[in-house]
Amino acid sequence: MTRSETGPATGPLLSVRNLAVSFPSEAGRVDAVRGVDFDLFPGRTLAIVGESGSGKSVTAMAVMGLLPEYASVTGSITLSSRQLLGLDDRQMSQVRGRNLGMIFQDPLSSLTPIFSVGQQIVEALEIHQNMDHDVAWKRAVELLDLVGIPHAAERARSFPHEFSGGMRQRVVIAIAMANDPQIIIADEPTTALDVTVQAQILDVLRLSQTETGAALIMITHDLGVVAGIADEVLVMYAGRPVERAPVDDLFTRPLMPYTIGLLGAVPRVDVAQRRPLVPIQGNPPLLVDLPPGCPFQPRCPVSVPRCGDREPDLAVVPDAVGGHSVACIRAHEIRYDGRNSCIDGRPVYPVPPVPDVPGARVPREQRPAVLQLTGVSKTFPLLKGAILKRRVGSVYAVSNVDLDIREGETLGLVGESGCGKTSTLLEIMNLRPPQHGSIRIAGVDVAQLRGRDTERQLRRKLQMVFQDPMGALDPRMTVFDILAEPLQAVGEADRAAIAARVDELMDLVGLNPEHSDRFPTAFSGGQRQRIAIARALATNPSLVVLDEPVSALDVSIQAGVINLLNELKAKLGLSYLFVAHDLSVVRHISDRVAVMYLGRIVEIGAVDEVFGGPQHPYTQALLSAIPVPDPMVERTRERIVLRGELPSPTDAGPGCRFVSRCPLYLTLDVAQQARCTGETPELTGRGDRDQQNACHFR
Amino acid sequence: MGAALVLRYLLRKSLGWLLMIVVATNLTYFVANFFLDPRANYLQLRPPRTPEQISRSLAQYNLSRDTPLLDRWWHWVSGIVLHWDWGYSPVGESVNSQISFRIGVSAQLVMGSLILSTLIGISLAVYTAARQYRFADRFAQGVSIVTLNTPVVVASLAVVLLAIAFNQSVGSTVLFVAGAQSPTVSGFWPLLLDRVRHLILPTISLTVISYAGTHLLQRSLLLDNINSDYVRLARAKGLTRQRAIRRHALRTSLIPVAITVAFAIPALFTGAVITETIFAWQGMGQYFVQTISKNDVHGAVAVAAFGALMTAIGAILADIAVVALDPRVRVS
Repeated sequence: MTRSETGPATGPLLSVRNLAVSFPSEAGRVDAVRGVDFDLFPGRTLAIVGESGSGKSVTAMAVMGLLPEYASVTGSITLSSRQLLGLDDRQMSQVRGRNLGMIFQDPLSSLTPIFSVGQQIVEALEIHQNMDHDVAWKRAVELLDLVGIPHAAERARSFPHEFSGGMRQRVVIAIAMANDPQIIIADEPTTALDVTVQAQILDVLRLSQTETGAALIMITHDLGVVAGIADEVLVMYAGRPVERAPVDDLFTRPLMPYTIGLLGAVPRVDVAQRRPLVPIQGNPPLLVDLPPGCPFQPRCPVSVPRCGDREPDLAVVPDAVGGHSVACIRAHEIRYDGRNSCIDGRPVYPVPPVPDVPGARVPREQRPAVLQLTGVSKTFPLLKGAILKRRVGSVYAVSNVDLDIREGETLGLVGESGCGKTSTLLEIMNLRPPQHGSIRIAGVDVAQLRGRDTERQLRRKLQMVFQDPMGALDPRMTVFDILAEPLQAVGEADRAAIAARVDELMDLVGLNPEHSDRFPTAFSGGQRQRIAIARALATNPSLVVLDEPVSALDVSIQAGVINLLNELKAKLGLSYLFVAHDLSVVRHISDRVAVMYLGRIVEIGAVDEVFGGPQHPYTQALLSAIPVPDPMVERTRERIVLRGELPSPTDAGPGCRFVSRCPLYLTLDVAQQARCTGETPELTGRGDRDQQNACHFR
Repeated sequence: MGAALVLRYLLRKSLGWLLMIVVATNLTYFVANFFLDPRANYLQLRPPRTPEQISRSLAQYNLSRDTPLLDRWWHWVSGIVLHWDWGYSPVGESVNSQISFRIGVSAQLVMGSLILSTLIGISLAVYTAARQYRFADRFAQGVSIVTLNTPVVVASLAVVLLAIAFNQSVGSTVLFVAGAQSPTVSGFWPLLLDRVRHLILPTISLTVISYAGTHLLQRSLLLDNINSDYVRLARAKGLTRQRAIRRHALRTSLIPVAITVAFAIPALFTGAVITETIFAWQGMGQYFVQTISKNDVHGAVAVAAFGALMTAIGAILADIAVVALDPRVRVS
C-alpha cells in the first residue's frame, strides 16, 4: 500500500480549483461539473465517487485535456504549479502520457485493433522519450512482464483481440505507466471486468503506483473498491463535490445525507442481513437550468425549507480530524449511533419494513418445484473449413447441471463470464428438450410438450427480465402496448380487462398508472427496469428468470429495484432464478445460490451457508475477491487472488475443471493430485446442512 | 506469414476467379445468343437479302442460326483456347483487335481519375472529419453532395465549356476537348504531352463526379472511429489529436474504403460510356453499348469476359489491401 507519509507537507502535485465544465445541448447548457476543488499529493490515492452523470468522468477528462472542443472549461488545474487549463492540444500532448497517465473503463475497445500491443506501448515510449526502437521494445516487454502478462516477450507481438479483457486492461495500465507519470487517472478501470479479474487488476494498479510512485485518481461508483484502495474520497453529486473525507472517516462517519444513502443502498457480501436495502427516492437532477438550493434536496429525507435557499458550499467540519468537508447545512446535526446515522435521534433514512414471505414458513422440501434441471448438458460444435465445415471439437458450455427451485424461492446463479450461466438460462427459456438430461417447469417436462397451445400455457409460467431495460423495451411502443402485448399473446381479448390489468401492473411495480401512455424513453433507467418487471409479471408467471437485472443501474436506484423484487416475491409467491455477477446483490436477494465454473456447478446450497462457510476452493476465491465497502475490513482481509483466467471449456476429459487455477491443488500430494485430474468430482455434502460442493477434498 | 505464403494464397485465389470467369463468360455466350440476333443487321440492307444469303454470310463468322448452338459454342471455345481468337462481329471486324486497342484507351481514361478521386476523397475526409460540423466540413460536404448528384453529361459539358473559355483566353488550344490523341504527333515526349493534353478534361470530369462517394464514405467511417476509445487512449498517450486520427483512426477505417474502390474498377472500365462519348474516346464502355446495339454476340461476350476479369482483379486487389492494412488478417 502507498499510505505513505509524504502527506500534505510537500504541497500538492495537482490542484484543481473551481473547475466548471459545461456542454451545449438541445435542451440548453448542461453544467456537467460545477465547481470542483481538490488537491492531490504525491503517492496518494484520491477516489472520486458518484453515480452516472455526477461529473466524475468529466472532471478526469478536463484534467487530461481530452474534453471535446465545444466543451467550455473554466477554473484552474495546476500540475506542479503549471497551469494546464488553456494549453492547446500540442502543448497538452507533451503533458499527457508523460506526467499524466490514464486508464479507461472498457479494455475491449481501448486498444487499437490493428497494432500489436508491443507496438502500442512502444509508441507511448517514443512520443515522450528519445529512445532507440530496440530499447523501447525491450522496455515494452519489461512493462508487460511487470503488469503480469505471462511470456511477455512473445505476447508483445500479439494483437489486442488475442487477449482477454483483463489482459487488455493490464496492457492499458502498462501504457499508462510507461513514462513513469506523476499521476495516473483510472476511470472505472474494473467496472467491465469479473470480480476475480477485478481483484487482479486492482493489485496491478497498486503495483504500478509503487513502481512509479505516482499519485492515483480512482474514479468509480463501487464503494467496495474505494474502501480497498483510496486514501481520500471525494463524493460527487450533480456535478459538485458534496463530501470530502479521509477514507476511514467517510465510511464510519458519513455526514452528507447523499453519502449516507449511498452506503445504506449497497448490499454487503460479508453480512447475513435480511433487512431491506435503503433506497434513495427519486432520480438525480438534469444538469440544465438547476434551481437554486441544494440539488439533492428533492431526494433528501431530512431536507428542510432552508435547503432550497442556496446551494451549500463544501465546508470543513469543525470537530473532525484530517480534513472532513461536507456540503450540507444540517451536517452538524447528524450523529452516528452505532447502527445508523441519525438526526434528531431517528435514522436519516427510515428503514423499510421486512416483507413477509408466506411460503417461506413451509419447509423447502414440502413446497412444489417450479423448475427442475436434471443432468442438463449443452455443447456447441467447433467448426473449421471454408465450405465443408468439419467438427474439430466441442465447447462444453453446460455439463451435467442439476438444480431445482421451489415455490417462493430465489436461486442465485453466479460465476465469471463464460462459465455457462447464460447458456443454462437459454436452455431453460428454450422450452425444448436439452441435448442431455431433462428440464421440468412447473411440473411439466418440456420434452412432453406437444403443440403450440401447451407451449404457450407453459410460457405464461416462465418469464424473463433482461439486463439492459432500454434494449429490451421497444422504443416505438407505449408502456401500455408493452404491458398489453404479453396479455394479448396468451389470448386475452377483452380491452377493458387488459386496461385494468395494465393499471394494476403499473401500480404493482410502483409506477403511476397514468403514465402508461408514455414511451420508454420518458422513463429513467430504474423506472424502465420496473416496466420490464411489470411486463414479465403480466401473465402471472410462477418463475421469473432475472438476467443481471440491476447491473446497469446506479447504486441508489438498484436498491429500490432489489427491494421491489423482494416485495413482489412476498406478495405474489414468485420464484426467481437470479443471474448476476455482483455477489453482494446475490447474497442479499437469494435464498439459495449455485456457483458455476466452466459449465459445472461447483457449489450449491443455502445462501448463508455458502457465503458464510464456502467449501469449494473456487467459491472461496470468488468470495474473497469481492471488495467490501468498509476500509477496516478491506485492510485486514486475506485475499485469495486466482492466477490466470477462465480457460475455454473445450476439454471433455475426466477430472476437475478448476485444476489449472486451484490454490488447494498446489498443496496436495501426488496421489491426491492424480485424483483431481483423473476423476470428475460429484456434488457431495453433509446431510445436516443445505450445502454441497464438487471437490474431492472438501 | 512469409512472401511464399502470400504468393500461394494469391495463386489459389486467382485459380478460383479464373474458374468464375470461365463460367460467367460461357453463360453470357448462351444468353447473348438467345437475345441478340445478328440476322437483324442484314435485314435493313438494300437490296434485301434472302435468308439463305444472310445465313451464308453469318456462317463465315460462326454466327449462323442454321448451325446448332452447341456446335457454334464448341467452335467459339476452341478458337479462344487454341488461338486466343475471340471471334468476329456480324460484319467481320475482329473482336481481338477492337478490345486490345480499347483497353489501352479506357485504362488511360479511368486510372488517372480513379487514383485522383481516391486520393482527393480520402484527404478531404480526413480534413473534414477532424473538423466535424465546422464551416470547412459543412462546405466540403455540401460541394460533395452537389457533385455526387451531378449527371455526367452536365459535369463533362461544364468542363468542356470552361476549357474552351480557357483556350480562348490563352489564345491557343492548350486542352483538347475531343479525342484520345492527335494523329500527326510523333516522338516520345511530344506524344506524351499530346496524350496528357487530351486526357486532362475527361479525367477532371470523371474525378469530379466520383471523388464525393469516397469522401462521404471515408468521412462517416472516420467519424465512427474518431470518438472511439482507442483514439482517446492514443491521445492520452501523448499524441496530438491530428496524429491520433491519422495513425489510429484512419488506418482502421481505410479498409472498407479500399475494398469499395477496388470493386469499383470493373464498373469504371465499362461504365464510362457517356464520358467516352462526349470526349470522343474509343473506350470499352462505348464498345459495350455498340456491341449490344449491333447484335455483336462475340463482342458482347468478350466485353463480359473483360468485366469478369476486372472484377477478379478488383477482388484480388481488395484482398491485398486488407492484408496490407490489417495485420490481424492472417493469410490462410
